[in-house]
Amino acid sequence: MATAEIRLQPGRMNGRRATQPRRPAILRLLQAERSEEIFPLLLEEIIALGNPRALVVDVNLDSGEVTPAAALKWPRAQMEKFSTALWMQEHPVVSVLNSNRPQVLAKTNIYNRPIYIHPILYSNRNLCWEADRIRTTTCLAVQNFRREKRVRLEEQVCATCEMRAYAAAVIVEVPKNYTEQGVAELGDLIDLANRYLSRLFKVEHYYNRMRDMEITIAQMGTVMQSMADPVILTDTQHRVIMQNKAAERFFRVPEEMTEGLVRAVELNNLLFSAALSSMLVSGSDSHRDLTLVDAIEGEEMLFEAVSAPTYGPEGIQLGTVTVMRDVTDLRRADQELRVNYERLSEAEEVVRQDRDRLNLIIENVGDPIVVCDGQAKIVLVDPLAQELFGTDTEVVRDNVQFQNQTKLTTFIDAFTASFAERETAPLRLYNPALRQEIEYDARSGKIFGERGHVAYTVTVLRDLTALRRVEQLKVERRMLEIEKFAATGRLAATIAHEVNNPMEAIKNAIYLLANAVPENAAPVYNILKSETERVARIVRQMLGLYRNTEQVKPVNVNTIIEDTLLLLNRQLQRANVELQTDLQVLPDAVIAADQIRQVLSNLVINAKDAMPNGGKLRIRSRHIHGVDDMHGWVRILIADTGSGIPPEMIRSIFEPFVTTKGERGTGLGLWIVKGIIQNHAGKLSVRSRLGRGTIFKIDLPVVKL
Amino acid sequence: MTAERKYRVLVVDDEAAVLLTYQLILERQGYEVVACGTSRQAIAAIASQHFDIVLCDYSLEEQHTGFEVITAARKRDATIPAALLTGYATKETADEATGQGIGVMFKPIEIEEFLATTSNMLRKNNEPKQQEGG
Repeated sequence: MATAEIRLQPGRMNGRRATQPRRPAILRLLQAERSEEIFPLLLEEIIALGNPRALVVDVNLDSGEVTPAAALKWPRAQMEKFSTALWMQEHPVVSVLNSNRPQVLAKTNIYNRPIYIHPILYSNRNLCWEADRIRTTTCLAVQNFRREKRVRLEEQVCATCEMRAYAAAVIVEVPKNYTEQGVAELGDLIDLANRYLSRLFKVEHYYNRMRDMEITIAQMGTVMQSMADPVILTDTQHRVIMQNKAAERFFRVPEEMTEGLVRAVELNNLLFSAALSSMLVSGSDSHRDLTLVDAIEGEEMLFEAVSAPTYGPEGIQLGTVTVMRDVTDLRRADQELRVNYERLSEAEEVVRQDRDRLNLIIENVGDPIVVCDGQAKIVLVDPLAQELFGTDTEVVRDNVQFQNQTKLTTFIDAFTASFAERETAPLRLYNPALRQEIEYDARSGKIFGERGHVAYTVTVLRDLTALRRVEQLKVERRMLEIEKFAATGRLAATIAHEVNNPMEAIKNAIYLLANAVPENAAPVYNILKSETERVARIVRQMLGLYRNTEQVKPVNVNTIIEDTLLLLNRQLQRANVELQTDLQVLPDAVIAADQIRQVLSNLVINAKDAMPNGGKLRIRSRHIHGVDDMHGWVRILIADTGSGIPPEMIRSIFEPFVTTKGERGTGLGLWIVKGIIQNHAGKLSVRSRLGRGTIFKIDLPVVKL
Repeated sequence: MTAERKYRVLVVDDEAAVLLTYQLILERQGYEVVACGTSRQAIAAIASQHFDIVLCDYSLEEQHTGFEVITAARKRDATIPAALLTGYATKETADEATGQGIGVMFKPIEIEEFLATTSNMLRKNNEPKQQEGG
């Protein structure tokens, strides 16, 4: 305002000094580049028009206060009268503002000289850009300009652009002799200044708005960038308009990247685009799971993409905002949880099956089973054991069961305290069902706890008497079989014996005729001789069966082997057969010694016959230990290095009248061998290779009486 | 076999055909053979004549056995060699015979074996005598 006063001086000198002619007010006001420059210029122009002083009061539209904003030549002391508030309706300035019409007031209670009060409001002749753009006529500036609608001061906010208008009043002390024309001129000047002010105000408003928006955008950007989840704004063509750093990791190709990762990014974009399209098509469903490759870490990650369309002010869809949530860990955890659950279910199933199977086994073992804890206290019994010891839950009252328990506990106590992991001991218990004492074979094992202590002992009681009974039955059955075979043998022998004597006579007669046969009858004589010899062999073989009438008793098989070899030793030596024996200690076996002797004799002679040019005969005996404490087997191996049995014959050699020896064989030897071994519940097998030799294997069960 | 004296053989078998053929075979071999069809005849022969060897069927008429004949022969000459000819001797029988120093030949008998065994038994029994005599 001081500068304004200095500038006024030349004007008032009026031609006394040669100064530049004063520019018209309209141009002077145009010099204002900012809104705050308008009022000082206006005040200067008002004074220049010859008015003694001027003042501008500003209306604070928020608080309703009216305060002086600029003044020229107006004494500060007299300004205070013009400070007021909008609710002071009777205040001259307020009433003028409310009327929105300039007015000249002569002498008032606030000022003793005539003053001209000119209210000014933000006003424009034309619609602002915003109203123009959205094609509305509701523009506050225009409304104010046209004064078409009384807009109350408190409501000076544009309905279209939300711009807050300004309101002020220019107060001018007019000369006492003011003229209508002078006042009108003053009014025009003020209106003109207001129009300039409105324009600048509008520009500044938009500038401020732009600044505000920039700040908002910056803030939004910060928010978006600081989000850990990828956020992507795409246009309607799914082209990326904007994305945050988290998204760039997947969708932007950074420099210094391997070809593989570039391809990964391309693939990510493709997948993302496809997901967007499908979401767009499905409409309602805006969730999609998406597997993307992290371009930096190269790691596969699972996202849940949530998309929402974005709309412009006119309601047109501009694009889509997609926020992706990293659910890799979530899904992985979920997956793991599911897998673990399945595994658990499977394990549970296995355990259940095992338990069922175990129960089934326990129920079907057929032997009493007792489980005791580390203190030898019975914790579990099967139904059979329950008969002997009572239940595991109730206190035993039965005297017999109590005695049985005492015996068992004594055994289990000792076993639990011992270092043995398993133990077998005889245990005599009273069996209530059989009403007698029975000797059980108690077999116990330990189950160790985590600390290596004995947690449980499991005891299976085997009824030895029953086992022995079964074994006895087996022996009896076998003896019966042997007896049956012997009976068959006796029949055969009886027939053979009847044939034997006539045969002996025929044979002898043929011998005696040897020299009495005419030469032309020699072939016939030879047939007679050889066929008779053959019948003699058959008879001899059949008689062999009959000779086996001795009792079945425990015998050491090695002795029988030695006996047989002693008998045949001469024959073997004559045939140039080298004999090797390897006989190991054997338990006695219950057998018919003569029958086994015949078996051995038949096999040794066969071996000898298979080695017409000599060879090796190996005879070996072994005790094969049985499982489950059965007595096992006696094994005899008879191996020769002879001609072997043709493969096509090997199946039938045990059948009667099958022979590899042609005319010289009876075809009965191996058949008898097989019969005898079968009767002994034994096993007979043969292995042979042509030109290499044959091995017969005999397994005889060791049964003890 | 010696030039001065033929060995005297007693053959016993209840089967006439078998007995005859044994006799013929032994005679062809140069022995002097007495053939008997029953144990009774045989024991009677032993009582009246000297034999160097007795070859006797095991089972004879009416449950009689060759053992009876041999026992009778041994009573007269304790060292006389003897053999049982049998079709169906059990091991016990064979063992019993062996225990008494009686040979056992199972029918059907290979004639070579029959002759060899007979000759062996005779030689064994007469060798010391011949040595003494020689």
